Amino acid sequence: MNNKELITSIAAKLNAPKSVAAILLETTVATCAQLLMEDKTIGFQSFGNFEVRKKDERLSVHPSTQIRTLIPPKLVVNFKQSNILKDKLKDMPHHE
Amino acid sequence: MNKEKISSQEIIDLVASKASVSKRAAEEFLKVMIASIEEGLLAGESVKIKSFGTFKLQWNEPRKSVNIQTREEILINGYYKVVFVPDATLKEQVNEPFAHLEPVELDTDPTKNELIEETDTVTDPRRLFNEQAVEIKNLISEIQALSRKPTAFIQEEMPVHEELNDEIKQIPDYKIEDTEYDAEIEEEIADPENRFEDKTTDQEPSTVEVPEAKEIKSVEENIPETGPDAELLNDAKNEDKSTLKEEDKPVTPDFISNPNYISSPIDLIEEKNIEIKEYTPENKESELISELASTPYLEDVMPLKRHKLRKWVFLILFLVIGSGTGLYIYYALSGDNSGTNMAQQVSISQIANTITDWINPAPKPTPKPIKVVIPKDTTETDYAVKEPVQPVDSVQLLFDNPRVFTEYIASERIKEGSRLTIMSRKYFKSKDFWVYIYEANKERISNPDEIAIGTLIRIPKLDPRLIDITNPRCMLKAKELHDIYVN
Repeated sequence: MNNKELITSIAAKLNAPKSVAAILLETTVATCAQLLMEDKTIGFQSFGNFEVRKKDERLSVHPSTQIRTLIPPKLVVNFKQSNILKDKLKDMPHHE
Repeated sequence: MNKEKISSQEIIDLVASKASVSKRAAEEFLKVMIASIEEGLLAGESVKIKSFGTFKLQWNEPRKSVNIQTREEILINGYYKVVFVPDATLKEQVNEPFAHLEPVELDTDPTKNELIEETDTVTDPRRLFNEQAVEIKNLISEIQALSRKPTAFIQEEMPVHEELNDEIKQIPDYKIEDTEYDAEIEEEIADPENRFEDKTTDQEPSTVEVPEAKEIKSVEENIPETGPDAELLNDAKNEDKSTLKEEDKPVTPDFISNPNYISSPIDLIEEKNIEIKEYTPENKESELISELASTPYLEDVMPLKRHKLRKWVFLILFLVIGSGTGLYIYYALSGDNSGTNMAQQVSISQIANTITDWINPAPKPTPKPIKVVIPKDTTETDYAVKEPVQPVDSVQLLFDNPRVFTEYIASERIKEGSRLTIMSRKYFKSKDFWVYIYEANKERISNPDEIAIGTLIRIPKLDPRLIDITNPRCMLKAKELHDIYVN
């Protein structure tokens, strides 16, 4: 499901035009990004939490050349699903 | 970390105010959004949200575990888990505070040094090229010293002189020749006797043809090789064979289409133009004649036409650039010599660049008409030679002259966590240009790594050509300065 399909789906459920759904989605995304940049955790009830985590600096060694490189620390967005969502997914059959 | 947690309600409020809709509508939207995402996920799909990220399902295999209390083995069923992969834009936004950091290679282990150096030369032909360029510059200055002596002496020194001429005529080409010298050295090492013989033959006045033949021969077969050129370049070529093989194949369009390589030859042209002044016009003409004399020879070498043609293409290329330089000098002299020159200089070098770009990617040779072109264009170059020459490349001038900062676009006070690189990113789009901020504030900063908090940093107004992030030379220069200031 890509962005368009998601908007279509939301619009259908809201009985609203797609443009409205698109604007709302964009605003939500921008708001979330803004909050994450301020190092805040966002919790969506029954869905999960978004938070920013710091990955510490580390040394990596190139396996073939043996060159050691210092990888600087970075901030990444992490999502942790809520237990409610987890339970919903539990019943899903595994099919490869 | 005291992270503030934002609940759904707060998000709803924020969205409602931002999109100027009622809170109820926003709440409903958020619910529906989450429901839709879940729906998509439950259908086994991944859900992508533009400029935010992708939600995916990850299957975790069933695994065995042990109950800690009873020590009973239990089987944890396999399950799906929602993973979120942030979009590149979100990643960048979030990582903003650390964006100025870069991975640093830190290998000082002496046993590994050899290996690293080897890979360096293999992966970085540019460095090799620069070394060769310096070598050639030195050579030319030596030869120049010789050529100040009477002309008769120059005639005796024909092999060396010829090499210079050859070089002057074909500066854009000299990269290829360099790589072929590599091949020559290999041969030379294998066969020192040949080298001796060739030296003697080179002393003859007919050596005009030697450069032509050399180029063809060295690529195609193991015909005995010319000595002096290779010998002079010898010290520069201690590269290992793998490098040689890589470089040997004349994949020159690659090298030359890279703006780096183009620009450096242009610099060289200018330098040489200055040097050419030393020669008398008659000298130049005799050179022309000898060149024309050499063309029949080329006709004889039919099977090797391909190489010959490529050589011609580069010859034209040089002539075009040469005439461009000539035109520029003409204008520079007829107009006033100061202010307005800059714009012209840029445009000329740009034209030269575009011409090189235009010709090189598709070296489809146009064999015959060249003969007609040569005399005409060379005379034009002659004209350029007689004029007093200034370096044309303004960017190089910008690099070489000490920068004077008079205008400032902003000023910032150093706080906790401030970095020159962050400021550079903010004002100049690339963190590499922090060196110029440092230069402008040198008297206040003793160590660029430790700036006292509260220091007022002035952001200089820089020439846009100096901080052109699309120009690899600018980046290279900034990196050079970085190395100077950091160490």
